[in-house]
Amino acid sequence: MSTIALQRLTKVFGDLTAVKAVDLDVAAGEVVCLLGPSGCGKTTTLRMIAGLEQETDGDIRIGGNRVNGQTPAQRNVAMVFQFYALYPTLTVEENLAYPLHADGLSTTEIAARVRTVSTTLHLDTVLQQRPGQLAEGEKQRVAVGRAIVRDPNCFLFDEPLSRLDVQLRERMRGQIKEVLAGLNKATVIVTHDQLEALTMADRIAVMRQGVIEQCASPHDIFAKPANLFVAGFIGTPQMNLLPAVLVGADDCGVRGEASAAIRFRVGDGTARLAVDPAVGRLAPESSVTLGVRPRGLELVSEPQEDSLPARIDLIEPMGAETLLHLVDGKLEFRIVVDRRSGARVGERVNLRFRPGQTHVFDASERRVAS
Amino acid sequence: MTVAASGVRTRGAFLALAWSLALVVALVVIPLAVWLLPGNAAFWVSLAAAALVAFTAAAFAYGRRNNGALLVAPAVALLVVMNIFPLLWSLGLSFFRYKANSVQPPAWLGINNFATVLSSPDVWDRLRTTGLIMVLTVSCQLVVGFLLALLFEKQFRGRRVLLMLVLTPMMLSYVAVGAFFRYYYEPTFGLLSQFVRLFTGEPFLLLNTPWGARAGIVFADAWMWSPFVMLLVLAGLVSVPAYLYEAAEIDRASWWRRFRTITFPYIRGLLLLALLFRTIEAFKLFDVVFLLNEGGPGTSNETIALYIYRQSFQYNKTSYATALAYIMLFVVVVLTNLYLYAVNRRAREAA
Amino acid sequence: MAARVVSRDVRQARPGWAALATVVSLIYFFPVFWIILTAFKTYNDALAVPPQWLFTPTLDNFFSVFSRAMTYQGAAVDTGFDLFFFNSIFIAMTSVAIALVIGTAAAYGFSRYPLKGNDTYLFIILTTRMLPPIVVIIPIFIMFREVGLSGTYVGVILLYTAFNLPFTIWMMKSFFDELSREVEDAARMDGSSEVKVFFKVCLPQVIPGLAATAVFGLILTWNEYLFALLLTGVETRTVPVAMGQTIGGAIGVRWGLLAAIETLFLIPVVAVTFLLQNQLLRGVTFGTVKR
Repeated sequence: MSTIALQRLTKVFGDLTAVKAVDLDVAAGEVVCLLGPSGCGKTTTLRMIAGLEQETDGDIRIGGNRVNGQTPAQRNVAMVFQFYALYPTLTVEENLAYPLHADGLSTTEIAARVRTVSTTLHLDTVLQQRPGQLAEGEKQRVAVGRAIVRDPNCFLFDEPLSRLDVQLRERMRGQIKEVLAGLNKATVIVTHDQLEALTMADRIAVMRQGVIEQCASPHDIFAKPANLFVAGFIGTPQMNLLPAVLVGADDCGVRGEASAAIRFRVGDGTARLAVDPAVGRLAPESSVTLGVRPRGLELVSEPQEDSLPARIDLIEPMGAETLLHLVDGKLEFRIVVDRRSGARVGERVNLRFRPGQTHVFDASERRVAS
Repeated sequence: MTVAASGVRTRGAFLALAWSLALVVALVVIPLAVWLLPGNAAFWVSLAAAALVAFTAAAFAYGRRNNGALLVAPAVALLVVMNIFPLLWSLGLSFFRYKANSVQPPAWLGINNFATVLSSPDVWDRLRTTGLIMVLTVSCQLVVGFLLALLFEKQFRGRRVLLMLVLTPMMLSYVAVGAFFRYYYEPTFGLLSQFVRLFTGEPFLLLNTPWGARAGIVFADAWMWSPFVMLLVLAGLVSVPAYLYEAAEIDRASWWRRFRTITFPYIRGLLLLALLFRTIEAFKLFDVVFLLNEGGPGTSNETIALYIYRQSFQYNKTSYATALAYIMLFVVVVLTNLYLYAVNRRAREAA
Repeated sequence: MAARVVSRDVRQARPGWAALATVVSLIYFFPVFWIILTAFKTYNDALAVPPQWLFTPTLDNFFSVFSRAMTYQGAAVDTGFDLFFFNSIFIAMTSVAIALVIGTAAAYGFSRYPLKGNDTYLFIILTTRMLPPIVVIIPIFIMFREVGLSGTYVGVILLYTAFNLPFTIWMMKSFFDELSREVEDAARMDGSSEVKVFFKVCLPQVIPGLAATAVFGLILTWNEYLFALLLTGVETRTVPVAMGQTIGGAIGVRWGLLAAIETLFLIPVVAVTFLLQNQLLRGVTFGTVKR
């Protein structure tokens, strides 16, 4: 069975704890992305799974076997390096065949496997060239090919697309996903690009300073972020995070099981917003943070009880849509509107919080939810 | 064209003419002087001609505002006087029969000297000896240097200090090495003999047989210069990116495979450089051989450089020795050419 | 299962490696060690059978190097090594200094103002360094004799300067080649003359290169034997030549003295090599190989 299980995995470098007691389970055929800013410990975690780093504490299980202390060779894992690590003096064909020599296969078998992989990844034309002569995208495909040509226990990718330009990235995202789908092995991908994570992963583990903040499906990460960090990290343009004070639940107003109407003091004004009912359990006058994505706001002509006034400060066209930066006193807002909305700098407008799209984060930065 | 500009042009043309003329004059006058005038006068006349050429060339370069030529001129001048000039002088000498201690003017021999040299069994014998020692010492250096480089490739505590220790043999003067290895090889109180005596009970004589002396020379020379090879190979080993080794570990490659496909390509160029460089130096081997045993026993280990030295300074067969030296020079030039070719190729590969 | 330490850097060695390296290094260093040890021995101890490991050390040899008199079996003998040390130092420093000045100028010329046939010139220059001294020595010997330079400081310094030039040119050129032209271009655009650009922009940046070149030049000149043997006179003799004579001396080889001389001779070389570790590779290949 191709699975990966990490229990209380820890890595300490001198004074720095790079990875703190991480728990993670990856099932066979599942793709998990380790996502986070640089220095969050994702690459270190990956290297510990590979056996390139020695863990300080915790257990690593691959295919159910405890592999602590085993060499990478003994673990039989395949890895795609950020810098590809192609053997510069060997041809593409020899690079692809390289891992197969350890399996004791016959030359014809090796050749057959190499051929299959090169066809899948469209490398047939460059088989006799050396890495130095290849384009960036071709190099990346060779690196991937070298991993999938064998039959390892799992796949590990270290920032596989980071060196490609935008268009190439789009193409390779789909291709990698397709390739992995057919192989049914546990896969861990490390990336700092959330778009990559959102499109390629079955589950995303968002990491910060050595800890997994949340591990969930891309949809849940996006729609139900566990805390302020995840909320602010995922989604572009970035979510609006507004400090507010909870005033109290209103007796009059929409009350249902899905949402409660709570009044907040935000900046200089107040708004009555439809939020998760669990928010009602917070004490009045608690400090909270409201989180609403730029597309969770809309412009309305008249002030309403769930809207706030603001002045347009900056207009950023984004093609089909436009990003508006607004200010009201010390508060800053970002809203995405259709490009035909005709907004002008300096205009005073009203921002309405679309119902049910506002998250509330308590003082300990956790999302309040039922 | 203005008068001033035409003035400049004519001045430039004048300088160019002056320089070329001076060169032609020098090329004619110098051989004539060597041939016709006694040594002292010939020397001064030649020097004057060379100085004239240098002066006019400098003026030409200055007039053309050729900065490069100006900057390079003093160095080139010194090298010409101290190296090129004597070389040409040598070449000239080798066509004559000249003995440094005789008062007779040199007699023209044409290429006789070269013919004598190339047909002399002594010369071929010395060349064989030199070749033998060369092959032995360079092979040892390559092997030992390579092993030492493998040792120092990894990081470990005290690496810096130990590396310095291993580099000290290179920093000794040849005299010291020659003298002290003679001390070590000495049959009565030398360390080698005493060590062997622990097993055999007899004093061990190393330097009194041709092969023994050869071993002594090769050992001393290889000991001295293996660190040089080590430095070069180490530079190559260290330049291999760590992630290639990591990828090879993941790919479960055997040690030999890893070496063949990753390590060796990186050190191949440097090994070649080390080989060529040390070969050139080994070909010229003089100091160690002379100081250890004066090329003994007898002349069994007389290298070609030592032979030339003796021929010119002990037997005063100056022009004969010069002819041979010139042949040696030719070999060195070819080897240096190869060396530079390898350097350039490596520079291109590394880019 | 036996756990194998897998560390961050694949170059980190296993624990036993340091021990192995120490053993090998010490064995390799042993002949040098013995020389240094012998420097502290009396004449008899040096010739002792079996070899003396523990002995009463004496600093006599070191004193003898510098004092003009030394007692050997009751007789006062002139060593004269203070003169020889002075000669070595003086000749080496002067020739290296001159070579540095004109060599650096030439290197700058080759680097920034490449002439037609640059490569040929550089090749010839390298060849003059590689050529067997024996080829040049005969005519130079005659030349010096004719001109009266034989055995003088001027003659030897002139020769050693020419000896050091090719190496200086190659080393300094490699340093100049590495400089980025952009800073120079900016200075030129600011109106600096070429001379100013050289002194204010290029030269300060290659000071480490100058130091390395000077040091390696010193080491090479310091240890040179053949030219010194033939071209220095009684008053201008350098240490290597004097050492060579001491071996064949009628008095018998004073191994302790010799060892002391070599130890003293070695110290400056080791010290500066330690300081210049980064440039070692460039230095020992005469500037042809950079990392």
